[in-house]
Parts: sequence; C-alpha cells; structure tokens
Amino acid sequence: MSKRFDGFLLDKISFNVPSGSIMGFVGENGAGKTTTIKAILNLIYPDEGSIRIWGNPSNNLSMDLRAQIGVVFDGSNLHDNLTLDNINKIMKNIYYNWDQRVFYNYLNSFKLPTNKKIKGFSRGMKMKLSIAIALSHNSKLLVLDEATSGLDPMMREEMLDIFMDFIQDENHTILFSTHIINDIEKIADYVTFIHDGRIVLSENKDELIYRHGIIRCRKDEVEKIDRSYIVGIRENNYGVEIMIKDLDAFKRRYREFIPEKTSIEEIMLFISRGRRD
Amino acid sequence: MKGLIVKDFINVSNSFRLVGVMVLFYGAISFLTESPGSFSGMFTLIFAMFLFGTFSLDELANWDSYALTMPLTRENIIQGKYLMMLLLTLIGFLVNAASLLVINIATKAESIFSGFEVPIGGFVIVIIFYSVLLPIIAKVGITKARIYFILIYMVPFLLGMLIFKKVKEDNMVPPERLMDVLEMVKDSIYIIAPLVMIVFLGISYSLSVGIYRKKEF
Repeated sequence: MSKRFDGFLLDKISFNVPSGSIMGFVGENGAGKTTTIKAILNLIYPDEGSIRIWGNPSNNLSMDLRAQIGVVFDGSNLHDNLTLDNINKIMKNIYYNWDQRVFYNYLNSFKLPTNKKIKGFSRGMKMKLSIAIALSHNSKLLVLDEATSGLDPMMREEMLDIFMDFIQDENHTILFSTHIINDIEKIADYVTFIHDGRIVLSENKDELIYRHGIIRCRKDEVEKIDRSYIVGIRENNYGVEIMIKDLDAFKRRYREFIPEKTSIEEIMLFISRGRRD
Repeated sequence: MKGLIVKDFINVSNSFRLVGVMVLFYGAISFLTESPGSFSGMFTLIFAMFLFGTFSLDELANWDSYALTMPLTRENIIQGKYLMMLLLTLIGFLVNAASLLVINIATKAESIFSGFEVPIGGFVIVIIFYSVLLPIIAKVGITKARIYFILIYMVPFLLGMLIFKKVKEDNMVPPERLMDVLEMVKDSIYIIAPLVMIVFLGISYSLSVGIYRKKEF
C-alpha cells in the first residue's frame, strides 16, 4: 500500500506477518513504522493498496475480530484522572471478551496500584498498564508500536518475557515495531526493515543473519567483489568493512575473504548508512 | 458504546461534586433574594459544559486513536458523544427543575412550576448550541474548535447588540409584518422550538458522522 503526506511517502510497502510468529518491524525514527501501523489499524486510509488481517480487509473487520486485536502505542492513551478500577469498568463495557480476572492478575504481577490515578504512574507503569489491557481480552494479535521504547533495560527485559509467554500459543501473533533492534534480535522470528518509507527487506531473522556476513579488507580490494553481493561499505582508517549478502555463494566464489558473523543491527546500519560502491 | 458513556461519566464525576456545592450556594442566594430565575438558567448550561471537558480530556490523552483500535466503529464514537450531550443536558435540566420546585415550595411561589420556562428553554438552546459545535469539534478537535466557538457565537451576538443599539438610537419601528411573524412564532414556540431542535440535532449528527468517517489519526 502507499500513502502520501506532505514531505513523506509510504511507497508501495508490502509485507506479511506469519500467524504464530513475532514480526519485528524496525526502522529509524521517521522511517514510517507508526504510519504503517496506523494504516493497519485503519486510523489512516491508504491512497492505494489494501491491508488484510486474518484474510479480511482491515477497513472492514467485524467487531468480533477487532476485539481479538490488542494494541499498545508509545504512550498510555488513557485519561490521567482514571484509576485502574475505572479502566476495568470501561473496558468491560467495550470488549465483549474482556476478562477482568486476567486483567487484575496482570496488575498484580506488574505491581500496579488499582486505586491510584494514572497521573501518578511512571512511563514504565503506563506501558505495563497498556500491555495488561492488550492481554486481557483474549487477543490473538498484538500490535505493539514502540512499546518498549523509553523503558529501562530491566523493564524492557520483563516486557519481552511477557511477549514470549504470549507467543507460546501457536494461534498468537505479534507485530512489534521498534527502533531498538536489540529487542528484535532477542524475540523476533521475522524482521521487516523499513527505510525512508520503503520496505528494504522482510524475512526470517535467522536466515537473514545466516545469509549476511562482514568482511574487512583493503580499499583497493573492493573492486574485486561483484556489486550484487554488497549490501553496504563502511570506510575506516585501516581499510573498509563490507556487508555481504548471499553469503554461501560469496564464500564459494571468493575464497580469499573470510566473512565474520553479523547481527541484525549491523545489517540495518549498513543498509541505511553504508554506501554501495 | 456503553463503555464510552461510562468513561465520560467517570471523567466528569469529579466536577459533579463541585456542582453539588454550587446548587447549594446559588439555591441559598435564590431563596434569600426570592428570584429563582437568576438561578435557573445556569445549571442546564453548567452540565452541558461538562461535555467540553470530556472532549478536552479525550484529546489530551489521544483517546480517539486508541478507542478506534477497540471493537468500536467511528459511528459509535460520535454516537457516544451525542448521547453524552443529551444525558448531561437532561441531568442539568432535571437538577434545575428539581431545585426550582424546592425553591418555589420554600418561597411559597404562586405556582410550584413558576419559572419552568427557563430550564425548558435552556434545554432547547443547549441542544441547538451543541448541534452547531459538535461537527466542528469532530473536524478540528476541541482545542482549535474553541476559536470557532468565539466566531460562531460572539460575532453574531456582538452584531445583534450593534443592530439593537442602532435601532434604539434611531427610534426605528420594526415593520408590522415582521412583528406579526414574531408574534406567531411566540405563540407556537412550544411546537417550533422542539422541531427546530430535532432538525438541528439530525443535521448535526449526520455531519459529524460524515466528517469523522473521513478523519485520519
């Protein structure tokens, strides 16, 4: 789908989130992650193209299906003067499948005070609350937009554990947008990378790491390498670092180079910051 | 949609306590001055104003974009606000009417229903007032809408004042036919006012839904 704004274009983006998996949706700030998620949630309307959730057009989902989607935005989106008891009262009148027992269990395990107003909550507590809400109506799909950004490492770890628990049910799926690639490395099965409003890659995380490698060599050696293998090149005082794709084929063809293992973070950095030639 | 009403009522419930104090305060003044009229118009308006508060709190929390990820349609969000507007205006009317009854009984007024035209008129005026404003709020949000309120209500009000002043200064006599029409309207006000209110409400709701359906968050 495509969507044009003043000074920004989501350009014919397309990807698929396999059921039963965690899809890490990564990209730098302003790359188009939130816009894409808003389009998925029908908060903005694509100029062209379409989005399907469980095979149904996202702009025409039944209330039944919508009730099975849990959403966590970057921020609480709840009124500061509400208490958690108030929120329970509101949500049970909105979600037909609201499970208040599960909700209070989460509040208990997150150590969130039920009688205190949200305005007294820290950012981490607000995020925990949003996650508790998203998990308290038998959601099958979690859409998380920067849900762990701004949290300290301990709390992020705690959140990631919760998402891992959630995904143990094979009917559950998570679309997890973040610019913290470390989180994706830890929990995602698939990675979609968006850069400047375009999808650069969308594939299995392990295969992605397996198919890429870094070689370090002299500047004059770059010429020897077929451009189709090069993802990006970074220069330093000692020579160059080259991110290589199709690693197996590269190794067979260029036995003089010894590629090193890489990470999702490095692949992303080479794609977005490295030069191609 | 019930959840939306619950949410709005919880959000305004803190202010309800303040209204309790005001009822007692103004009630006492009205009782002492034996002028229930001064007291009467106020409460319908005060309750209706709570609706602005619910919009402000929603906007502050960025609630709408969150609510639209829930099993709620865009129509539900608009319906919730219109229902809330009617409920708040009705509560204002009832508090107003009940207070008037108490004051009329306490002051041994001619009729216990004396002054009731004020809360009834207030009810109709508030509904028409909101019917004009809600589509604007749906379009631009409450913060920007405040500027439009001033233009929509203050400009005609000030123009009216100017015209009135001019008419008075020049001792102008209104045309007889205009007076006849006004007289006829006055006689049938109990039929015309509810009809106008319903027409305004209907058009306003359709406009708000149309605007909100196209809105992006």
